[in-house]
Amino acid sequence: MTSRARSQERAGWLFSLPFVLGTLLFLALPVGLAIYTSLTENALIEEPLFIGLENYRELAGDRSFRIALRNTALYAALAVPLNMLVSLGLALLLEQKLRGSSVVRALIFLPVLVPIVAASLGWMWLYHPEYGLFDRVLRAVGLPGVDWLGDKRFALLSLVVMGAWITGSQVLILTASLRGVRRDLLEAARLDGAGAWWRFRAVVLPTIGPALSFNAVVSTIWAAQVFATPLIMTGGGPEQSTKVVSMVMFENAFRYARMGYASSIAWIQFAATLLMALLVLWLGRRFFESEVRG
Amino acid sequence: MDAPPPSPESGAAAIWTRRAALGILGIGAAGVFASSSRRRRTPDGRVRLRYWEKWTGSEGAAVQALVDRFNASQERIFVERLAVADVFSKAMVAIGGGDPPDVVGLFSWNLPAFAEAGALLPLDGFAGAESLTAGHYAPAIERLLTHGGRLWCGVNSCYTLCMYGNAQALREVGLEAPPATIEELDEVGAQLVRRGGDGRIQRAGFLQNVPLWWPYSWPLLFGDQLWSVEEQRFTFESERCRAAFRWISDTAERHGRAASNTFARGFERSMLSAGDPFLTGAVSLTVQGPWMANFARQYHPDLEYVVTPVPVPAAEIDANNPRGMLECDVLCIPRGAPHPDEAFEFVAFMQTTEAQEFLAREHCKPSPLAEVTKEFYVGHPNPFVAVHAAVAQSPAVSVLPETRAWKPFSDLTVAAFDAVWMGGDVDTELSRVQARGQEIADTQAARRKRRGRL
Repeated sequence: MTSRARSQERAGWLFSLPFVLGTLLFLALPVGLAIYTSLTENALIEEPLFIGLENYRELAGDRSFRIALRNTALYAALAVPLNMLVSLGLALLLEQKLRGSSVVRALIFLPVLVPIVAASLGWMWLYHPEYGLFDRVLRAVGLPGVDWLGDKRFALLSLVVMGAWITGSQVLILTASLRGVRRDLLEAARLDGAGAWWRFRAVVLPTIGPALSFNAVVSTIWAAQVFATPLIMTGGGPEQSTKVVSMVMFENAFRYARMGYASSIAWIQFAATLLMALLVLWLGRRFFESEVRG
Repeated sequence: MDAPPPSPESGAAAIWTRRAALGILGIGAAGVFASSSRRRRTPDGRVRLRYWEKWTGSEGAAVQALVDRFNASQERIFVERLAVADVFSKAMVAIGGGDPPDVVGLFSWNLPAFAEAGALLPLDGFAGAESLTAGHYAPAIERLLTHGGRLWCGVNSCYTLCMYGNAQALREVGLEAPPATIEELDEVGAQLVRRGGDGRIQRAGFLQNVPLWWPYSWPLLFGDQLWSVEEQRFTFESERCRAAFRWISDTAERHGRAASNTFARGFERSMLSAGDPFLTGAVSLTVQGPWMANFARQYHPDLEYVVTPVPVPAAEIDANNPRGMLECDVLCIPRGAPHPDEAFEFVAFMQTTEAQEFLAREHCKPSPLAEVTKEFYVGHPNPFVAVHAAVAQSPAVSVLPETRAWKPFSDLTVAAFDAVWMGGDVDTELSRVQARGQEIADTQAARRKRRGRL
């Protein structure tokens, strides 16, 4: 190796050092510490006590955690398809040559820019049992009002609906992907007598499949980690019907000073999220491959 | 296409750019290192104390006034108050991270966790602490400041829960004051309810979920203490607890479970504001702390109200020993505080009768001290402070369980309350809370034993 090559190699290492150090310090080390912490009782204010797998054993019998796990799964199962449908519908609408579509595009993206706390507080007023817009509309048409966030039958569903309002990023990805749909193929399909539905299924869907898969995986990860909206809007109630895994983790870490227990929850959440994301990825691939074959 | 070979000038420039970058980084690191000295001083040479406190607004201004008085009273120490939200978790992280403030204002229920972990410096270890330990505080307050036989913190105002009644509404049913017994309360509460044409509640007499802040407090009215100190066990399945939650369930049933739940939830975001249900007359009777007087004079100065101790079962009424829940805010010196002796001087200043009476008046609260001056009550902004004070000094007053498992336990009671209100079986719900709460308490006790701290 010439001295120039050695110098270049050294420079290469030097320039990549911040990223290597960053990854080690801010990713690898915390992950390793989180594994260790999950095997300890750790309140931060005293030396950690190594307790092996006791936290995981305790989790198995923790009813609140089981409820949170079920609620999170239910939330993801409802929110992901709804978000996908809403974002796809909006993206397809935006692709139509309509007057003012650029304004509509901006309006659709706007909720992404609104801080989640402000959005949650705004939606709380929309769901308010006395003054909320939704109940006012129901009463105006002679229907009884619904306590959206106070009735355990509706509370989680209300959070899912609120989540579907913030689909701007997904719409953006799909809109970009729709631009890649070949016009000549669409035209050929039309000439072959394919209707709108078949053109969508046979031409559009296979093209935007990867974008849809990406959206599905990202939505699943977001849904599995949902935290701020239930914390602000319902506090996990009524009757724990909106308590989610991130909330149980937060409570244990920062309200109960049980950092070890919270870390074990984090690892279970990570494993569950990974499994769900892989499942969605696999389902997406199977679906789009069958569409392409079909 | 190959890149042109670097010229000697560009190589030299690269070396200089690299040296400049490393130099800047070095200067930055040296700056951080130099500024990390933990003992801080003001420009005029005073020791600068960092004091974290939870209060903001008028309550924060009252504490600041005391801080200013302290700063003006001597020339050695300067206290800098910083309003800190969610102070429990932030104190935990700061102490664990080795960079705590000098003084931190926590809640009394935080004490077991911090004291057992040795995360605070016990006040009785400081020279001059004798004045704080010899009957300085009201007995129940002293209990709240003590853990394992040591005094861990000073008080920073206290509150008791009492029954606030809308005088005008009470006159409608021929009463001058809120009912003294649970049985009368049920009767009066029912008479005070007003419903609209659609059957929805427009005004409630009394509902235990307005506000839903102390779902665990109702058994205290029935004489249960929630925790047995001797057995180190929660007592949530006791007959008194069951009676309390049956009473809650009956109230919900009488008012319509869903309707009353919806009515109460409608006020979740407007408590202690201009839209507060008690201040606006939407509920006629409510259990609240002394701060209600502060918000009444701020938002509805014309509101006529009467305050009495919380009602109890008729068979257990004892006017001389009123029941109620007592809690206090506390001032602590964290482990690793940069200036512990100066911090103690400030805490001791805050424990003087003058300071605590000033703070209590500004917060509309009773005094936490054993002896109260006559002047304290003269012109006190809370016209019913004596009622709160009587509860605070009563031998029958209750304090929250002194265990690290308290917070998870209290959160479990919220879900149980919700379930009972909506018709859940009382025994099942209480037994769930008891089982899980006790499991946490037992686990923590076992681990303390393993650490050799039991």
